[in-house]
Amino acid sequence: MKSNSKSSRLDYLLAAPTLIWLTVFFLVPYFIVLIYGFLTPDIFDVKFEFNLDAYRQLFDGTYFRPFVLSVKLAITTTLLCILIAYPVAYLIARASDKIKNTLLILIIIPFWTNLIIRIFSWRIFLSYNGVLNDILMRIGLISQPLEIMRTDLAVIMVMVYVYLPYMILPLYSVLEKLDFTLLHAAMDLGANEVKSFFKITLPLSLEGIFAGVLLVFIPALGTYLIPQLVGDQRSLYVGQVITYKIKNIPRNWPMASALSFGLLILVAIFLLLGYILLKKSKVRGVA
Amino acid sequence: MRRFTPAKFFKGMNLTVFTFAMLFLYIPILILVVFSFNDARIVTSWKGFTLKYYAQLLHNVAIRDAFLNTMLIAGLSTLFSTLLGLLIALGLENKKLKGRKGFMGLLYAPLVIPDILMGVSLALLFNFLRVNTGMWTVLIAHITFCVSYAAIVIQSRLEGFDYSLIEAAMDLGAKPGTTFFKVKLPLIMPGVIAAALLSFTLSIDDFIITFFTSGRGFDTLPIYVEGTIRRGTITTINALSTLVIGLTLLLVVFTKRIRKSLISSF
Amino acid sequence: MEEIRIVNISKDFDGFMAVDGVDLTIKPGELFSFLGPSGCGKTTLLRMIAGFEMPLKGKIFIGDQDIVDLPPYKRPVNTIFQNYSLFPHMTVWDNVAFGLKVRKTPLPEIKDRVSEMLDLVKMGDQHSKYPDQISGGQKQRVAIARALINNPKVLLLDEPLAALDLKLRQHMLIELMNIHDAVGITFIYVTHDQSEAMSISDRVAVMNRGKIVQEGPPDDIYERPSSIFSAYFIGETNLITGEVIGIEDEYVQLKCPMGDDEYFEIDSTFHFRPEIGSQITVSLRPEKIAISSNKPKIADDMNIVKGVIEDILYLGSHTQYIVRVGKHNIRVFSQHKRVYFDDKALDWEEEVWLFWHDTDSWLINELPDESRMPAEGKTYIPKFKKANASAGEQI
Repeated sequence: MKSNSKSSRLDYLLAAPTLIWLTVFFLVPYFIVLIYGFLTPDIFDVKFEFNLDAYRQLFDGTYFRPFVLSVKLAITTTLLCILIAYPVAYLIARASDKIKNTLLILIIIPFWTNLIIRIFSWRIFLSYNGVLNDILMRIGLISQPLEIMRTDLAVIMVMVYVYLPYMILPLYSVLEKLDFTLLHAAMDLGANEVKSFFKITLPLSLEGIFAGVLLVFIPALGTYLIPQLVGDQRSLYVGQVITYKIKNIPRNWPMASALSFGLLILVAIFLLLGYILLKKSKVRGVA
Repeated sequence: MRRFTPAKFFKGMNLTVFTFAMLFLYIPILILVVFSFNDARIVTSWKGFTLKYYAQLLHNVAIRDAFLNTMLIAGLSTLFSTLLGLLIALGLENKKLKGRKGFMGLLYAPLVIPDILMGVSLALLFNFLRVNTGMWTVLIAHITFCVSYAAIVIQSRLEGFDYSLIEAAMDLGAKPGTTFFKVKLPLIMPGVIAAALLSFTLSIDDFIITFFTSGRGFDTLPIYVEGTIRRGTITTINALSTLVIGLTLLLVVFTKRIRKSLISSF
Repeated sequence: MEEIRIVNISKDFDGFMAVDGVDLTIKPGELFSFLGPSGCGKTTLLRMIAGFEMPLKGKIFIGDQDIVDLPPYKRPVNTIFQNYSLFPHMTVWDNVAFGLKVRKTPLPEIKDRVSEMLDLVKMGDQHSKYPDQISGGQKQRVAIARALINNPKVLLLDEPLAALDLKLRQHMLIELMNIHDAVGITFIYVTHDQSEAMSISDRVAVMNRGKIVQEGPPDDIYERPSSIFSAYFIGETNLITGEVIGIEDEYVQLKCPMGDDEYFEIDSTFHFRPEIGSQITVSLRPEKIAISSNKPKIADDMNIVKGVIEDILYLGSHTQYIVRVGKHNIRVFSQHKRVYFDDKALDWEEEVWLFWHDTDSWLINELPDESRMPAEGKTYIPKFKKANASAGEQI
């Protein structure tokens, strides 16, 4: 039998390549982001001169609105996703084994289809002379095409559309493992369906909700592509502002760095909040 | 006597929401597919069946290059991230390993940070190092964001691993190497394949990180499509999208078969 | 054929001594059992022989060779795992062939030996099935074939029947004995089930807290327990403490308190010479005691005490009576052959006479743990957990 130190040396050896990779290409880059925030912008690049402008602007409120919009969007998206995903996940979890797999694949297929293509399909669907307006006018519900494309509503719709599977899947996996005899027990003890849902099913599926929130809320905070392709160009989200600062000329990489750092801190705060909430619910004996 | 009960209400509501969600998920894609055969320049109403966009697609060199780039990057990043993911999953299998918590933190962190931040940070890294962006930088970026997903999928397969099977193999005379390749690897293979499939999907799907790390002249399909949409020349995009969706469907149907045959071949 | 010698072997898990200085010699070709409650160290001892655990110190010899430093794959032993541990991704045939394949045996030979082994365990017609397609008993057979095909010097069996139901367990037990006879190699059998160990073994080592408490043939351990632990763990027994008040050639006289300053006397044959005035324990097996509501005429070499029936448990093949004798609750097994003593059934709260032969009580030079001594009217509960299967097994 291998001795302990020998086998743990092998373990470190196995883990090392990935850990080194992540250190070089994941951790170190954030230090560079931190450093770049204190440099001076140049038209195409940065000048290695100390400059506090970027962080000053970050804190003086110039970029307050994109942050607020992003947080609002992330919260709305997450809530809508929970509301739609829960019944869907519940239905799949309680379906017979045969149908279950088919239903799951139905949920996963869009998830496997290219993101840009899916967003693009919404542009066709929602645009001024697009399919939705066409249908609505044909059945006489409206006489003038609706302006849905390039509105905040379009952004929310596509956001929910894109992130829905990320909420359904973790919820499903928790609900699937849920012991439904508990519900029978609750009903046996006199709780009706509504009560037993709120007292049993919901608390026991909290973990799935948390996982889903993690998978939806965090990426939603940094979203770029969806508001860029279907959103109102007067409401800019953090992801868009950061991208513009990097891609558009004149470039302002220090500002992009400062904004990125702001976003990182925001994510960290929400993660911490979620962690505390999860812990609290666990202390109470739930989840 | 028919009576309204909460149970019926719940069931009805679930079914309604489910149907709605399905329509929501599929109608846009359906429209896209239908209109790829529509003989009209602007996609509003049906003007007749055509395959001309597919013909245009075949002759479009930029699309062909972007497609090949996407496959190249996806193939290579899948290979490397699955391998790296497998190695670290095996390395961190022992829960008593010193420093494991910290390593797990580093491994999981990329999963809880928005993509765009990884894109920005890598762009700045490459700028800082004065590296020319192109295929290599994109490949590095893709491996970086795929490896954590691959590792997690393989770890979850290792989680329930029955260690007595390893003991049984050694007991029957198999050396550690033989034990790994004949017993352990075949048994975690479904996890490895799932990790590879996930990496591949993530890689071909990625826009934002590629957007920040690719240079001029190295477009992947999502980058090309986004650029085309922005420029407004969208005639072939419907056809291209339909092809991609078709490929995805084929993949979904066949992965089950592939996975099965792969497992039984061991 | 070689004997196995275990010399002063110890193993600790984070400071807890799982096996504590065990010495043991197992004869060639023996069917030897490690018996004890869970956590007694029996499985750890077995795993050290198999090579899955590295001992803290000590040696394990097979013949003249110390195998402690050999990895599992170089040891001439094979193991039957508790949950069989068949490779789920291989057919029955591939599972059995595994050991030969990794040793690069030529294919024709593998084919011959596998079919030979599968025939031995009566699984010849199931060779192309996967483990999840066969029953528990069949898995057990495949596990045996998979181990024996490597011609081990020793076969280790780690609670091999624990996952089977009662009927199948009894059947497999006989089958295991037949296989042992057929192959003739040494079997080491680990179990917490005393009836399994008793029925299958040539010799048994009773283990508790990492140590071997007693070692010997099953009847020896049952009839002549050397400690309170073995007396209580193997089978059922009544433990009565008393003061030695006289020693004759053939027997000792004990004065046993029943509470309230009352005493009864027990005469018992002895296998060691206790000192007069010392406190010792008598182990009295419930089936050795006769029970009757009429006072029997008894010979000189019989003991008799009077009690009241506290409880009656009908157990099919026999009835268990719990009889209150002062502070003692004495258990008595009575087979349903009442013709001997009674013509009517005994009833709750009935006054009865308990009597047994001097040679049926057994002295143990040890006192039950005082802190665990029964309160008035309660039975003595030893510190260890009683094996869970034993109650069912005796029905």
